[in-house]
Amino acid sequence: MISGHIARSPRLLGKACIFSAAGLLAAPALAQDEGSYTPMTPTEGVGMPTPGGIGFQDQYSPLGEYALKIHNYALMPIITIITLFVLALLIWVVVRYNRRANPVASKTSHNTAIEVVWTILPVFILLGIAVPSIDLIAKQYKPAPKEALTIKVTGNQWFWTYGYPDNGEFEVISNMLNIPGQPVINNGVREVGSEAWDGPSHLEVDNRLVVPAGEPIRLQITAADVIHSFAVPSLWFKLDAVPGRINEKVLFVEKPGVYYGQCSELCGAKHGYMPIALEALPREKYNQWVLTHPGAVIDGREEPAATAPAGEGETVPADMPEDAATEVAA
Amino acid sequence: MATTADQFQGHVADHGHDHGHDHPGFFARWFMSTNHKDIGTMYLIFAIIAGIIGGAFSGMMRVELAEPGIQYLDTFARWFGAENPDFTATLHTWNVLITAHGLIMVFFMVMPAIIGGFGNWFVPIMIGAPDMAFPRMNNISFWLTVAGFVSLLCSAFVPGGTGLGAGTGWTVYAPLSTYGSPGPAVDFGIFALHLSGAGSIMGAINFITTIFNMRAPGMTLHKMPLFVWSVLVTAFLLLLSLPVLAAAITMLLTDRNFGTTFFDPAGGGDPVLYQHLFWFFGHPEVYIMILPGFGIISQIISTFAKKPVFGYLGMAYAMVAIGVVGFIVWAHHMYSTGLSVNTKMYFTAATMVIAVPTGVKIFSWIATMWGGSMEFRSPMIWAIGFIFLFTVGGVTGVVLANGGIDDNMHDTYYVVAHFHYVLSLGAVTALFAGFYYWFPKMSGKMHSEFLSYVHFAVFFVGVNMIFFPMHFLGMQGMPRRYPDYPEAFTYWNHIATIGYMVMAASLVVWFVNIAYAFLAGRKAEDNYWGEGATTLEWTLTSPPPFHQFETLPVIEEAVHH
Amino acid sequence: MAGTKNHDYHILPPDIAPLATTLGALIFTSGMVLFMHDMPGGAFVPWMGLALLIASMWMWFSKIVHEARAGDHTPVVQLHQRYGMILFIASEVMFFVGWFWAFFDFSLFPSTLTEVVDGQWPPKAIEAVMDPFALPLLNTLILLTSGTTVTWAHHSLIHGDREGLKKGLWATIALGALFSAIQGYEYLHAPFGFGGNTYGSAFYMATGFHGFHVIVGTIFLAVCLVRSYQGDFTPRQHFGFEAAAWYWHFVDVVWLFLFVAVYIWGGWGYPTH
Ligand code: HEA
Ligand code: HEA
Ligand code: CUA
Ligand SMILES: [Cu+2]
Repeated sequence: MISGHIARSPRLLGKACIFSAAGLLAAPALAQDEGSYTPMTPTEGVGMPTPGGIGFQDQYSPLGEYALKIHNYALMPIITIITLFVLALLIWVVVRYNRRANPVASKTSHNTAIEVVWTILPVFILLGIAVPSIDLIAKQYKPAPKEALTIKVTGNQWFWTYGYPDNGEFEVISNMLNIPGQPVINNGVREVGSEAWDGPSHLEVDNRLVVPAGEPIRLQITAADVIHSFAVPSLWFKLDAVPGRINEKVLFVEKPGVYYGQCSELCGAKHGYMPIALEALPREKYNQWVLTHPGAVIDGREEPAATAPAGEGETVPADMPEDAATEVAA
Repeated sequence: MATTADQFQGHVADHGHDHGHDHPGFFARWFMSTNHKDIGTMYLIFAIIAGIIGGAFSGMMRVELAEPGIQYLDTFARWFGAENPDFTATLHTWNVLITAHGLIMVFFMVMPAIIGGFGNWFVPIMIGAPDMAFPRMNNISFWLTVAGFVSLLCSAFVPGGTGLGAGTGWTVYAPLSTYGSPGPAVDFGIFALHLSGAGSIMGAINFITTIFNMRAPGMTLHKMPLFVWSVLVTAFLLLLSLPVLAAAITMLLTDRNFGTTFFDPAGGGDPVLYQHLFWFFGHPEVYIMILPGFGIISQIISTFAKKPVFGYLGMAYAMVAIGVVGFIVWAHHMYSTGLSVNTKMYFTAATMVIAVPTGVKIFSWIATMWGGSMEFRSPMIWAIGFIFLFTVGGVTGVVLANGGIDDNMHDTYYVVAHFHYVLSLGAVTALFAGFYYWFPKMSGKMHSEFLSYVHFAVFFVGVNMIFFPMHFLGMQGMPRRYPDYPEAFTYWNHIATIGYMVMAASLVVWFVNIAYAFLAGRKAEDNYWGEGATTLEWTLTSPPPFHQFETLPVIEEAVHH
Repeated sequence: MAGTKNHDYHILPPDIAPLATTLGALIFTSGMVLFMHDMPGGAFVPWMGLALLIASMWMWFSKIVHEARAGDHTPVVQLHQRYGMILFIASEVMFFVGWFWAFFDFSLFPSTLTEVVDGQWPPKAIEAVMDPFALPLLNTLILLTSGTTVTWAHHSLIHGDREGLKKGLWATIALGALFSAIQGYEYLHAPFGFGGNTYGSAFYMATGFHGFHVIVGTIFLAVCLVRSYQGDFTPRQHFGFEAAAWYWHFVDVVWLFLFVAVYIWGGWGYPTH
């Protein structure tokens, strides 16, 4: 049954070594040969929304943790207090200054001191917010180290392609898995739940964006048609994929795992059906995954000379494999 | 210096009862109108119809979102005339719904109601003028709004790319709106904005001229009621921001039809340029929708606290400040487009500045009530509700203002929650406040206070139930503009949809109240709110004469401060 | 007292012109959609709309002229009109801000990723630009001269010299028409087209909308000329003329920006044609 699905999913997974992934959580392939790879099974509640959840997803990148702290320990308390303060004042005036409690209205309409206070005080609160906030932005823009791995992300109507210029230019095409009981969204793609490692419906894809964990990665993001947006909430990552531009930002995933996101810029009819599934693997596992692709090379990050010059101003991604093209068109 | 409206003892010589002369016949009165009150009435009726349509669209959206999966969109697609829509066309219908909902609510409900409706009715009266400066142009402003609406409705029934109708979102981002949406639908949508935009620009010219030039003797700028101030600032925002939108959508039009490449990367164009142009208009636009509401709330609070507005000058210049700063914060809608680091820092800082003058307004309203002798008549209930709900929406705006934080929030339901708190719970609550405040003045009939309270209570519960959970959805990562979602988002979406039904029930109460007023309502006196109501409209009959102030009122110097 | 007007404002009777104008506009825009998508009616509906639009505007503006003659334009109403015209021009300025924004975006940050632009301005695909110091310079001089002739007309009007007014207007209109003709000639012989790259797009939209404003301004002045033959305008009351003159100066100033930014700076160092 499993192999049946694999057969219908002819692309890159085709070469994957297939065995039951049951029980393989965060540490998949044990002692596999070079070039073998089994997708990782996601952990419930990690890198994905939780049912009925009311806060941010747990963060798995340093900047995400920092941003979450700013939100949870500064912004959120401040706005809650301000709102409750306004509410309390409202309740107070309603109780104290209604017609029965205060039959004669005062005529006061000025009090310079208090007006200055309620102008200056918010200024200080906002300054207090601005300091960590600006710092966060500065950190987010720190460029990736020169030797960092480059991955190219391209948004298409309505799937993602991931290019690995440092690993021999191969390209991964990523489609959402079809949902049982719903009309077919991507022809020729299997249904979600048909493999043991499948994550939640609407979020799982046939081929994930696989990246090494624990090292900075240079993501270069663009689009082939209209604007899309590459977003992974649990990594505090969102950057638009704009045709004619290459947007670049550092991605750092602290630990191996599967992290889901969804296209976050309206891109047409199937905007809701082009999720992002990012699988972070330890470096060796990542290298093994790389080698499952024809023509793949492991970049010589130890010998910088061998590093491919990243992204020489190329917008248009390499043409997609023919079978994929027909499949998308279908 | 007199600062508030409470000293307006207009010398109104003619409590005009001029029925009989120069009352035009039905067609002339309603289709050829040059009377600001009739035009205001038409704007209000138009806005209510548009609000019902826009509200119905949001109901269609909410039922579809009640559960994951696609349940009703296929039916809706057929309603728009699609025969056997395939799955893509069905999904396209979602985008058409949100686009139409956003555009209708913004351009054809809030703006016509609050500026066209209440502005037209009460700006001339409050400054003691007999009409607007350009009565004929006033009329074309209204008709162009209607024409824009017709054009927008036409777009829903013609092809728009992957299905019928324009599915671009109300922001009409290129290139989805250019080569991403072949077919006439988007062109109809663009022309809808051209038409209604031209109407709004003319309306803005009319208001500014009226306010600068037609104030009654003694009505200095610093004595004007705050509602008039709010419309003045709003009119400037319209005048200076709408033409930029007009240019942007004209570029869309030529990109779509005449081969230009403003936003097409193939010819060197830049999709992000469109976003800059759109938001240069779009951010002032959000203040266009709220400032007149601020003005209405100021009038109401002062009336029912029986006190002059606290810190009148601060209130007036806070609005001016909001208007000015509103022009230099636009890129906070574009934090994830790949702005440079300095740009992002600048827009973060600039955006937060707006919280200061807005805070001045919130606190001054509370200070106005402080020491007052408040009566909780229907408009006051809505006004107090407004202050709270708007604060909730405003502070989430401050969260979004942080560019680094917005990286996670942008285009999620957190943003949807933010802007519905300031719009659907802010601007709309201000509209209902103004409605109950002035409805008897306009119609001559009293509504039921009891039904207004019921309306408020049910509405308050309903809208909070719809929109508060959206904060949770957004933080959990649910993106906007999605007809379908992972199971994990089901719970709060379901609550929101139930909330919609509660809210809808409140609108039924509102309709019943209007019907009651017309069928059985008491006749409204001249000043039915009593001593706290001091602006000039309360010196007139309810409804006011066809032409008021045929002898201009004289505003006396203030007796005290 | 009731029903007697005791103020100087202009209270208007009901009027069909706004509705008619709106219908014209709506038919025009809808017809343009038909036209742009080769749908039935596309060949004539826009013209119908345009005709109705122009006819009803004609009706509207002639009413204003009649009202002026009837003495409805009291000093305060004239002040309204001044405000109205200034605000209208302010909104037009913002409209042009949109075009300049696009132009500077493209010229200061030319796309490096697109073949036809290749990181340079004017884009790689542009082989030659217009020589700013040939016809555009001539056009600049023409417009500047027309600014002086319209002032000549104004001064004559103020000093009660009706012949001077007519001559000044004739001269201005002639210069305006000459400008448009030269601009049309230039468009026909331009070494680059409208579509295909950012240069043509920004160039033609900005100069094209300017040209359209020149034509509107010329018509506005022509109306003033006709009115001056009919004996309208007095040295003390002639706002119709003044509005036309303001508009003309506005168009003039926009051209100066276009000339300096788009023609001279925007084509700097490029082969000219
Ligand atoms: C009426 C309309 C309205 C109003 C008034 C506002 C008000 C504000 N908005 Fe909002 N906004 C919208 C309508 C509005 N907005 C809409 C429609 C969108 C989405 C458009 C789209 O994408 O479709 C949007 C989106 C939006 C974004 C982009 C989010 C994104 O897409 O990622 C941002 C980011 O900065 C933002 C910020 C703000 C801020 C800082 C204010 C401030 O003006 C709020 C100020 C008010 C307060 C702060 C509360 C009262 C103040 C006090 C009690 C004083 C003390 C307070 C402090 C010290 C904090 N808004
Ligand atoms: C003023 C603006 C406004 C208002 C009032 C509303 C009202 C509502 N909106 Fe809103 N909405 C937008 C503006 C508004 N919306 C915008 C701009 C978008 C973004 C679109 C986009 O993404 O492009 C959006 C998107 C949007 C979404 C997200 C869709 C998506 O991203 O996929 C949802 C989802 O639930 C939603 C729901 C609702 C609901 C349930 C209401 C209910 O509250 C509706 C109930 C109806 C009313 C409360 C109105 C009643 C008023 C009158 C009848 C007139 C009164 C007149 C007088 C008193 C004179 N809206
Ligand atoms: Cu791709 Cu939305
Ligand atoms: Cu904004």
